[in-house]
Amino acid sequence: MQTDRRRLNAPPGGTTPPVFAAPPDTKLHRPTRTRKPDEHRKLFLRTGIVPSASGSAYYEIPPQEPQPTALLVPQRSSLKITCTVHGPRPLPRNAAFSPNLLLSAHVKFAPFATQNRRGYVRDASERDLGAHLETALRGVVIGERFPKSGCEVVLTILEGEEDGWGAGGAEIKGGGWGIMTVLAGCITAASAALVDAGIDCVDLISGGVAAVKDAGKHGGQENAVVVLDPAPSEHDGEITAACVVGYLQSRDEVTEMWMKGDAGAQVQTLIDEAVKAASLVRAVLAEAVKDGVQAKIDEAEDDAAMTGSAKEGKGKSKEVVMTG
Amino acid sequence: MAPYTGIPLSPAELQYLHTSLSQDPPIRPDGRSPTQFRPLVAETDILPSTNGSARICFPDGTEAMVGVKAEVEKTREGGQNVKGEVDGKTGKDEEMGDDSNRSARSGRGWGEWVEIGIEIPGIRDDDALPIFLSAMLTEALLADAGLKDTLWINTRFHWRLYIDILLLSQPLSYPLPLLSLTTHLALLSTRLPSLISERDEDPLFNDDWEASTHLYPRSKADGSSAQRPPITLLVMSVGEMIYFDPSADELAVADAVVALSVTSTSTTDADALPLKLVALRTIDPPSRLTAGGVPNVLSTTSTTGTASTGTTGTGGVLAIREKDQGQSVWRPPRGGVKRAVVGRMIKAVVEKGGVGMEVMAGLAGVET
Repeated sequence: MQTDRRRLNAPPGGTTPPVFAAPPDTKLHRPTRTRKPDEHRKLFLRTGIVPSASGSAYYEIPPQEPQPTALLVPQRSSLKITCTVHGPRPLPRNAAFSPNLLLSAHVKFAPFATQNRRGYVRDASERDLGAHLETALRGVVIGERFPKSGCEVVLTILEGEEDGWGAGGAEIKGGGWGIMTVLAGCITAASAALVDAGIDCVDLISGGVAAVKDAGKHGGQENAVVVLDPAPSEHDGEITAACVVGYLQSRDEVTEMWMKGDAGAQVQTLIDEAVKAASLVRAVLAEAVKDGVQAKIDEAEDDAAMTGSAKEGKGKSKEVVMTG
Repeated sequence: MAPYTGIPLSPAELQYLHTSLSQDPPIRPDGRSPTQFRPLVAETDILPSTNGSARICFPDGTEAMVGVKAEVEKTREGGQNVKGEVDGKTGKDEEMGDDSNRSARSGRGWGEWVEIGIEIPGIRDDDALPIFLSAMLTEALLADAGLKDTLWINTRFHWRLYIDILLLSQPLSYPLPLLSLTTHLALLSTRLPSLISERDEDPLFNDDWEASTHLYPRSKADGSSAQRPPITLLVMSVGEMIYFDPSADELAVADAVVALSVTSTSTTDADALPLKLVALRTIDPPSRLTAGGVPNVLSTTSTTGTASTGTTGTGGVLAIREKDQGQSVWRPPRGGVKRAVVGRMIKAVVEKGGVGMEVMAGLAGVET
């Protein structure tokens, strides 16, 4: 694996995040899920935030409940993703001919995004996320309309979803479920940014996650429950399987599906619930895209009005010259 | 050869392949049935200095070798819990007798104890392909908690398993099934020396290799493994049809490619399915980067076409291409795969007497 030789780095083998002792009279409570199983967390999406990129979007799942003030470590992680799209632009001169748009996706966690610090060089999990995202997006863009061109989708995760509950010094021993929520967020954000960049797509693609929660251990029920949009910190080792889909609603197709874990007999339900989550996200996505387009139209109208008034001004000055 | 895809096929050839694969009954280029696999050559226990090894050779010339090495490693201290919860838990476990050793182990293993390294000639190890492949194989292996817990020795030590996968030939087609099947065979033949020290002592092992235990324990009756490592199969769809073990030519016209990892269930219930799905990923089909054909009406060289090149502007050309929709000439596939098709793929692999069982049975027949 490539090592980072440009900076002074922390010792290899990982560092340990600080553990904060709680005040003696407070009792730490693991956050519990207060939403219904088929309820998605509220999310925020806006396009056109980076003026220098041809398309951009910002995606956030803000904390749904206020943080208790006595604690320094956040109880719940909130997801924050920025996405920029550069292109379509010509391939470099030495590149081979491509009849289609070459789309590449780069996913990078900011060093401060998770409780364990991430380095500056992309590690295996980030590259893996990039590969997933490319699979999701290449099916959506209409590549043959942009021959000999490339397009880069760059995602920076400012705050990632933790794999577990980190407050109180308990070591996070997650099954890697947090990264699935991150991927779903990346798909949605990238879709909004692609539309903002004006790249032809067959449909809007939205990401959704669902998980099988093993309620037998804690709830005493026989059947496992399928929950939409799981927050790993709220489910202590109860998640047995999770599924991410990148869903095209108007075509009823998935371009990306990633399932892991043992869902047992609930595989089909899990996929359907993930698709349901993606359809819920799509409502927000469509609204954000509409707002973005409206903002562009308003801007164009303002510009037109400005140039119009400037022309009038010119005309007046000419008149002045003529009369003078 | 087309750049970026490595597919040596013209749009006309792609269209021909696509048509023959999407009709019912389909015609595959090599005459196989949709669920039929290519024959393969396999051998296990070939590397003397490893705990387990295997080699598989596919008829298209691709060949892979896997070596599994196990090392004893000191377990890093768990999280410093300010409330001392962890300490309380370990104290309770020590009181248990040896008979409950198995239950004490459950949930003790860590995913980090299994390390998979993949080397593909001509591709850098930080390239997307090896990373994607190793992530896929790792998550399938770790989905079953049994493997992780077998690596637990006592509260202070554990085994670390290195699975090194070497592709000996060029990756002519997507190498995932080859690597997965080889890994399966290598893990089946992997043995760990048996432990003679007790509880939390420094581990001491029996130096008799005959006394070693299999990583995936075998039943005494017929010598076959009750628990089996997962296998990952590549399935592709063209229209409504699904195909197993696609060759490079077939992948070039795939609408969607899905990798499915299945493992055997531990239940002895006769009604239950023999296999369970542990991981699923869609894979970017190389067909999306192929060049589309030019419809006859747009061709400037054709004598039969009603080429009115002077009147059709850029918009007209686009409209004609869109209207054709890949009916008369090849067009790279757009969009994804229907949920129902994915459901059928899963069913075909998992069901009783399905493809998954067939492959598992075939691999179990390999002589060690």
